[in-house]
Order: sequence, then C-alpha cells, then structure tokens
Amino acid sequence: MKVGERLERLREAGERLAERPPEQVLLALGRVLDGWSAPRSAWREALARALPKATGFSEVMVREGLDRGLAPLTGAALRDVVARELGDGFAGGAPLAASGFPTTGVILAGALPTPVFPAVLAPLVLRSPVLVKTSVHDPVTPAALARSLAESDPELGRCVEVVDFRSPDDAALAAFLEADCIVVTGSDETVGAVARRARPSCRLVVHGHRVSVAALGPEATRGEALAAASEGIARDVALWDQLGCLSPLAVYAVDADPEAADRVAEGLAAALDGAERRWPRGRVEDASAALTAHERAEAEMRAATGRQVVLHAGDAWTVVREDDAGWRPTPLHRFVRVHPARDSDGMARALAPLGPQLAGVAVAGFGGEASDVAHALARLGAARVCAPGALQTPPLGWPADNQGWLTPLARLSSRELDMDPPGE
Amino acid sequence: MSGPDPERAGLDARVLTWMREPGWQVDEERFDALARELFAFQFARCPPYARFCRGRGRTPETLAGWREIPPVPTGAFKELALRSHPAERTCKTFRTSGTATRRRGALHLDTLELYEASLLASFRRFVLPAAASGAAPLPIHVLAPAPDEMPDSSLSHMFGCVVKRLGGVGSGFHAKGGQLDRGPLVAALAKASERGTPLLLGGTAFAFVHLLEALAADGRRFALPSGSRLMETGGFKGRAREIAREELWSELEQALGIPVERCVNQYGMTELGSQFYDSVLAEPGEPRRKLGPPWARVRIVDPRNGEEVRPGATGIVTVVDLANTGSVLAVQTADLGRRLGDGFEVLGRAPGAEARGCSLAADQMLAGDAA
Repeated sequence: MKVGERLERLREAGERLAERPPEQVLLALGRVLDGWSAPRSAWREALARALPKATGFSEVMVREGLDRGLAPLTGAALRDVVARELGDGFAGGAPLAASGFPTTGVILAGALPTPVFPAVLAPLVLRSPVLVKTSVHDPVTPAALARSLAESDPELGRCVEVVDFRSPDDAALAAFLEADCIVVTGSDETVGAVARRARPSCRLVVHGHRVSVAALGPEATRGEALAAASEGIARDVALWDQLGCLSPLAVYAVDADPEAADRVAEGLAAALDGAERRWPRGRVEDASAALTAHERAEAEMRAATGRQVVLHAGDAWTVVREDDAGWRPTPLHRFVRVHPARDSDGMARALAPLGPQLAGVAVAGFGGEASDVAHALARLGAARVCAPGALQTPPLGWPADNQGWLTPLARLSSRELDMDPPGE
Repeated sequence: MSGPDPERAGLDARVLTWMREPGWQVDEERFDALARELFAFQFARCPPYARFCRGRGRTPETLAGWREIPPVPTGAFKELALRSHPAERTCKTFRTSGTATRRRGALHLDTLELYEASLLASFRRFVLPAAASGAAPLPIHVLAPAPDEMPDSSLSHMFGCVVKRLGGVGSGFHAKGGQLDRGPLVAALAKASERGTPLLLGGTAFAFVHLLEALAADGRRFALPSGSRLMETGGFKGRAREIAREELWSELEQALGIPVERCVNQYGMTELGSQFYDSVLAEPGEPRRKLGPPWARVRIVDPRNGEEVRPGATGIVTVVDLANTGSVLAVQTADLGRRLGDGFEVLGRAPGAEARGCSLAADQMLAGDAA
C-alpha cells in the first residue's frame, strides 16, 4: 500500500480515535507501556531477539539496554507526564486545551530502539494517528510497537501505520509530508531536507543529533566514589555502543589536583574493560573502525611529543586522557576522552561551544555545589542532568532538545468565554 | 641557515635519481633500502616520531622491512611540526584547508626539489603521457587560485609548478578571491572549441561543480577537441552541494565534451610529497584504478589490527612516500580504500557511527584535509 493511502486510512482511524475519551486512550496506552516494561514481557523478549541481527548490536547489550531503557516507561509515568505537561488541558478543560493534529508523521533515525517508544506514543496520547517512517538502521522496533498496540487495543493499532522508504523516493516523501504535523529526527542534513520540503502550514518538530558528557567533581575523582562513578559512566557508554544522544563522549575531571584526570582515565578504562565482558560491543563499520584507529594513533602521537596525553585501549574500547579541557570529537563505539578542568567554571567554558547540542550530563562528586553545577549546565543547554549510570534510563517525557514531550505536538487553545473582557 | 639539510643530501640525491629516471620500474629492493634508510634518518631527527615508533616497538634496528614503518595519522600534522630538519631550514610550509574553528595541518619542507620532481614525473605519466613522446604542450587552465594568492596551499603550488613546467601557450589560473573567474575561462573554452586545439583543465572537484553551474546558467556547452582532458582533485567536504564523482564526470562530459575516460582524479594530500592518479590516460582500456610512482607505496590495512588486508577488501589507505624526506615518510590517511590489481581505489570517508545513532560523532571533523 502506498504512503498516501496509508495516510488516508489513518485519517479515518483518527476520526474514530477522536471520539474516544482522552482518559480511556491514556489508560490503553499505559497498559501497552506496562506490557513492555513488565519483568517478563513477551514483547520485549521478541524485540531483544530480533534487534541484534537488524541493528548490529550484541544481544546481551540489547537485553540490558531494553531492560533499563524501558523500565521507566510505565502507565503510571505516562499519567504523571501528561498531568505535568498538559494539566486539565489534556481532557479539554479550561483555560488551555490541548489536542493533537488530524495526523502526525514521525521520521525515525538511527538504530536505537528505546527512543522509538516516546516518539510513536506521544501523538497517540494527543489522539493523533501516527504515520511512522522507520530508520534504515532499525526496521523492527516500530513494527513491534505497532503490533503490541494492535494486540492490546485494536482501534489504537489502526492508528499507527509503519512505512519504510528510502530518501530517493520523492513521491513517498511527498505523500508522507502531507501529514499535518511532522516530527523529524536525524542529522542536520536530514532535518534540513525535510524542512525544505515540508508544507508551510505543517507543524514541524525537530530533534537533531546531540552529545552528552559526564562531570566528576573532587569527591568522585578518587577511591570508592571514583570506582562507582566509573562503573556508571562505563554502563552509559557501553549501552547502545555509545551511539545514542545520551551516551557520554567525554568525562571532565573537575578537580584542582593535576593527577585527578589520570585517576579518572584509569578508573574508566578498568570499568569499560569490565563492561566489554558483560555487554560486548556489536558491529563496527569499517569507516568507524578507521576513525578509531586514526584517533588512537593521533593520541599516541600527541603523547609522544611529551604532552600529558595517555592512551588506554582494549579491543573494543578506548579512553584518552587529554591534557586540556578543549572539546574534541570522538569516533563513538566506546571511545571516551577524559579532560582535566581545574574547576566547574573551566568545565563550563569548555562546554560552552557545545551548549546548543548538549543533551545529558552525568554528574557526581560535587558535594554541596551539585545544585549550582546542575544549574550552570542547564543554563548551557543541557536537557538532562543526572547521576552516572542513569543516562540511558531517561524518564518518560524528558525534555529532549529542551522541548516538552507532548506540547510541541499539540494544538493549544485557550478558553476565555467565562472571562470578562478587559475594561468592563 | 637555509637550504636542505646537508646531512640528508646523499639520501635526497638517490631518491631524486629514481624520480628522474625515464622508465619506471617497481623495485622492491631499492624501495625497501631507501625507505629503511630514510626511516632511520627521521627516527634520529624527529624525536616525537621516534617516541611514537618506540611506543609501537619499532626502531631502525628492529625493522624487518618498509611495511613495518609506523605510519603517522594525518591528524598529527595538525598537532605538531613533524619535521626531520632544523626549523630554521624550513623554506616552505604547506597547510591543509581549514576554518576558524578547525586546526590546520602543516607540512614543513626544507626543499621543494623532491616535491616538484615527484609531482612532475607523475603528472607527465598519468595526465600528459603524450608529453613524454615530444607532443606539443597543452594549454593548462586551472580552476584554482594561483600560488601567489595562496602561498601556503600545496594545491596552488602544484598547479603553479605544472603550469610553469608543462603548460603550453595560453595556460593560466581562473580563480580569484575564492570565486571562479569565469569570463576568461569560458573564452578559453570557446577558443579551444573553435580552433580545435585541445587543452587540459585542472582544479578541485568543487570548482568543476561551480563551472557546471556557471555554464548551465549561461546555457552554454562546448565540444572540446579530442586530446582534451581534465584532472580534478579533492572532495566536497563542508560544501553545500555534493555529487558523486562519476556523476560529476558525466555532467562534465555533456558540458565540455571531454569523455569520462579522459577525466582523471588525483588522490593527494598536503601531508604527502607524492600523488596518485587514475590510470585511464596512462593505461587506456584497462580498469580505472589509482596508480602512483614507484617511490610511493600504498598499503591497505585493517583498521582493527593494522595488518594488510587481502586484495579487494576494505581498509585504511596508508602511504609510504620517499618524497617525504624532510618530514615523516609513512602516513596513515583517514580514507578507506581497497586494492585493485597493481593499484587501488579510494572509497573516501563514508559516514560511520553517526548514521546508526543520534550522537554527534562529527566524523568529518576527524578527517584529514585533502590538499
């Protein structure tokens, strides 16, 4: 069936969905989420079996990533987020009512399965049927989620259509962009291409590629606290092989002690080595392997000049102890840089250029300054500040790209009939 | 203190002799001997490189052959001055392209003699093979700035040298201030078409895209005479428009009348003294592949273990270039490639991890810059 025909079918399903009470839809979606996050979820088990072949991730890592990533996605969490973001407006109450668009198109990117859930479910919360374009790197998760919706609530199942077409298919893209609201995830190029083609009247919601980091204050750069923080950061790095926007690429050792960065690099190297044994890294493309080899050699070369650069490397992970706070890109696939920073101001200065692209920061060891550090990071643009080990378990409705989860997809309408006109 | 390092004079002279010999012979023994001697010289004269090599367990004493010479990643040229001669002897510094936010790589030379000898010998063989048999020199029209406008660009220097030494009457540069100087260029194309006098066009791939756009805007096409040819180099990194190389050649064939089989891509980079070229003009009728001079050897290595991959398999393009006497001779590029017969093919810098995730890998920021 062509994309345009699927969109038409969605419009019809959407009319029936709009007639259902919002609370009823919310409960139905909550049941689906509870089904996915339940300890012995058959849906999650089936997805865990299918993903390794489709995405290249190792099965052990996929299981860990799904267990942790889906755990916070529950019916109760859904109700909380809806109440927090939309309040009485969710049920059409005064003073600000929220409703979804007649149709929403969601363009997915990348191989990570966990972001698929909030992306597909958000329009449904607003009773907007959703047309999903799968990512070429994960063709299985959207279909699995759609099946679970159909099993749990056939009418909701009819409100999700999953399509798969590639970028040269102009006709399919044009038909897709007939949706009333478009959510696009991807690189600047992808987002730009969609933005250029989208109709002016269409609501366009963009989620670009982002970076995350970790920051360890003086209380977490030594001893048991360092070991615990390193374990957490290693898990954040290992899950989804550091390919997610919430995967830390760099760790800042924020400590006046010049040896702190050495200790952090060593601690993280040991933890990544352990993580590799627990959750082996998956497939690495030749281009990525080449970049890793290049960056490792480049670090060796800088070390050879007498600079305080140290390379720690295993078969499937890399830690480079840098000698300054300046940001350097990494080739991903479990490649982390550890930067020294004398204090949190120094770290903030180093991160400032990244501000608009900063997604999450894992923070530990700042003691009484933790709140100030979190505040400063939020001012820079960080959408999440959390503990090491928690980056890959974002709560439902976390403000990706500093936006709400539901409000960007909603049509808001103020109800002022019972208010007196000004001046009367 | 100026001029090339006298301590290297004997070595330079032997490399130059090879470069100036009329017939090229792949001579494994000769290459290995010179490479090992040069490695020992650079190991002694470039302390960071020596420490890098020791870190990999390689010293002149332990080296079993040229294939074991540790290659320096192109990114290192952005970090430190990789020279094997006293700084005060530097006579020329070529820098990679860059932006305000990106560090530029630098190649410091104490002599241009080897660079130019390698360039001219290779250019004659792969781009102007008829010149070797005494044919009249072709006018060379360059879609790049002249060397005096960009004195630190190895690309401009290369074209300057080629125009001066190999170009016929009417040769010239047709880019100024970052813009294509289209008037004189189009006039030269029209003249060549009308008079039936072949020419050579050279420039960056992106400059040719600009030329195509300019010709399309003017509604002009040319049928350049047989014998005309084209040499392009570089990629589209950071440019608004990217097109596949084959597509570019095809469009150029339609716009200029230069057949695809007379379009030569040059593979070179600021960090190297020698360049590699498509084989189509030197060996017409044979499969297109990259070939280079016998004093520059390419290894395609597995990025996971540094071992040479089997023929046809993908790996990192690594070059050992005897023309790099004043810096380091072994360079690891950021490009993927694969061996094709006696040559190789460059697959470029395909996007890696970024495509599979939503993290910002910024692969392109890691890659070394082409000349």
